[in-house]
Amino acid sequence: MGRRPTLGIALAAGLLGCGGASGAIRLEEGLFRMTGGEPGSLAVFVDGASDPIFGTERRENGTLVFEPRFPLRPGLKYRAVFTPSGGPPLEGTFLLPAPPPGPPTTVVRVFPSVNVLPENQLKFYLHFSAPMARGEAYRKIHLVESAGREVELPFLELGEELWDPSGTRLTLFFDPGRIKRGLKPREEAGPSLEEGKSYTLEVDRDWHDASGRTLGEGFRKSFRAAAPDDAQPDPARWTLEPPRAGTREGLAVLFEKPLDEAMLHRVLGVVGPGRAPLSGRIEIDREERRWRFFPDRPWEAGRHALVADTVLEDLAGNSIARPFEIDVVRPIEKRIDSKTVSLPFEVRE
Amino acid sequence: MIRKMLGCAVAAIAISGSMAAAQEATSGMTKGAPDLKFAGPLAFAPQGILLVGDPQGGAVFALGTADTTGQPDQVKLDVPGLDQKIASALGTTPAEVMVNDLAVNPASGKAYLSISRGRGPAATPVILVVEGSGKISELSLKEIAFSKAVLPNLPAPGEGKNNQRGESITDVAYADGHVIVAGLSNEEFSSNLRSIPFPFKTAEAGTGVEIYHGSHGRFETKSPVRTFAIYKSGAEAQVLAAYTCTPLVRFPLSELKPGNKIKGTTVAELGNRNRPLDMIVYQQGGKDYALLANNSRGVMKIALENVEKAPGITEKISDKAGQPYETIASLKGVVHLDRLNKDHAVVLIRTEAGALNLETIPLP
Repeated sequence: MGRRPTLGIALAAGLLGCGGASGAIRLEEGLFRMTGGEPGSLAVFVDGASDPIFGTERRENGTLVFEPRFPLRPGLKYRAVFTPSGGPPLEGTFLLPAPPPGPPTTVVRVFPSVNVLPENQLKFYLHFSAPMARGEAYRKIHLVESAGREVELPFLELGEELWDPSGTRLTLFFDPGRIKRGLKPREEAGPSLEEGKSYTLEVDRDWHDASGRTLGEGFRKSFRAAAPDDAQPDPARWTLEPPRAGTREGLAVLFEKPLDEAMLHRVLGVVGPGRAPLSGRIEIDREERRWRFFPDRPWEAGRHALVADTVLEDLAGNSIARPFEIDVVRPIEKRIDSKTVSLPFEVRE
Repeated sequence: MIRKMLGCAVAAIAISGSMAAAQEATSGMTKGAPDLKFAGPLAFAPQGILLVGDPQGGAVFALGTADTTGQPDQVKLDVPGLDQKIASALGTTPAEVMVNDLAVNPASGKAYLSISRGRGPAATPVILVVEGSGKISELSLKEIAFSKAVLPNLPAPGEGKNNQRGESITDVAYADGHVIVAGLSNEEFSSNLRSIPFPFKTAEAGTGVEIYHGSHGRFETKSPVRTFAIYKSGAEAQVLAAYTCTPLVRFPLSELKPGNKIKGTTVAELGNRNRPLDMIVYQQGGKDYALLANNSRGVMKIALENVEKAPGITEKISDKAGQPYETIASLKGVVHLDRLNKDHAVVLIRTEAGALNLETIPLP
């Protein structure tokens, strides 16, 4: 190699068999260049592979240039082969340096945060400190009974895996076919969770993040299964603690039970005296029983309202609009057809 | 995967109608680079139009592949070690390649694969074409005729701040001038099926349809549809939908109207602890069958005779019931399948050693 490549380290390059070839292969800024002007073709392989990588060949001022279709992968070794029109090929091997690793990725939070869950619990949200790799989730998450026995296939396994757009939050649904109903489990496999038993949600440390590294540590969340919850969230039972006008205090809303953390960020809002939506910041705490809204601008005096989309669910998937499941024999649950419910409150001086 | 049309004379009428629609579709497309963020479920519409579900972008793309001729009856697709070959071509390792779906172009017999190069949110979507010769090439998305339908992501009273909601697309299909899309939110639990008129007329795909089925005794559930096929018998097209923990549910395609709530009929219970992966329908000896690949119960051949008249399963059952089926013992590790021609299917098989093979099999 004549010049030092700007991107990539040439591990070994040289004339293999010579045969009149007078140039050298270089890797510069993601492009492979064969100098010397000799006619021939340039192909690039992942080292050890027999099929060439996709890319295009062109001539630039007599230099043969191969542009890979996709960016080269740091840490991977590539082999470039120049085959002259006559004579033996010339070969070079290149390694792109991998960037220095950042701090290892970890599980930062799991929702619901409460440690007593209804036995018909519907889902978990797992939050990670950095983007994760798809394709491993259901092998790396385990539900273990207190006696150490692993619950078999407790979760709804979807090939797509339900990640948020940033790849840092996984939605993990319990398999609805394994959620206990009525007095008896409905499947021979039995329900995933049973009232009175204790469980641990375990995340393996060898789960890979998007950069290909494993987690910095595993994760465990222990909880106990309690009685099933078939009641719909009831806004009439929520308590509102209105703020004072002229301040940017939080409006606090206390729920009758923990609600879905993700949806609380999305489907609850506040409208001002003119029904215009207010912008502000949301805080959720007390194990998802309290929702607070801090406006960007001080509160005006007057009539406001909390607006909730009726899709809002509790931990068992019962929404304001309908219970998780409809009992066709005893359809006594209320069904709400409106899209939103409004809870008015007064902001006073 | 899902070019799932059947039913001889009826299908012929449907296809002639659809061809007019397809001509209109290609002429209505714009040329350019579709902003595909993730290449997910695939299906073919007539005239080589490839439908690509993009769960990350919340959209369905229709791509004019211009791959409209060939001899699909003569094609045989067999590529052992497909994942290794794809990784080599994409300049990466097999661990960094995800094959998301497979669809065979009925016009040419070429297999199309939706790929992620990389496994994180920044992975590059790629569509590859595999020919009978074994040649693998990329369907270039730099300058291609395309159209797009955006799936609505629910508006929020809180103005969508911190909105991490996404709607995964579990399956797409084409039927009679409509693109059918099965979706699943990563927040609220719902089964959402949309029927979008094709060619796409508006950018917004409108509201979906909630589907309930009364399996497992007395409770109606709204579990998400995992995979589905369109099945024609008699005058009416039926949607045959497979759910997780495998009930097979049927409802008329005509009921897929925005805002509708559909009560599906459970026509088979195929066993628990199982996840359906992919399904096609076909005809053999004058009778109709569905071929369903599952993650733990293998590939099932399900008789569809009289399925539209089946009263439905309403009793609680412990394991299996409904339409008769047989498990094809010779097919193991099938993760995707599609019909190649009237006698053959193409399958993607994950071997016990972990390799991914593309194989042509006679329809069982």
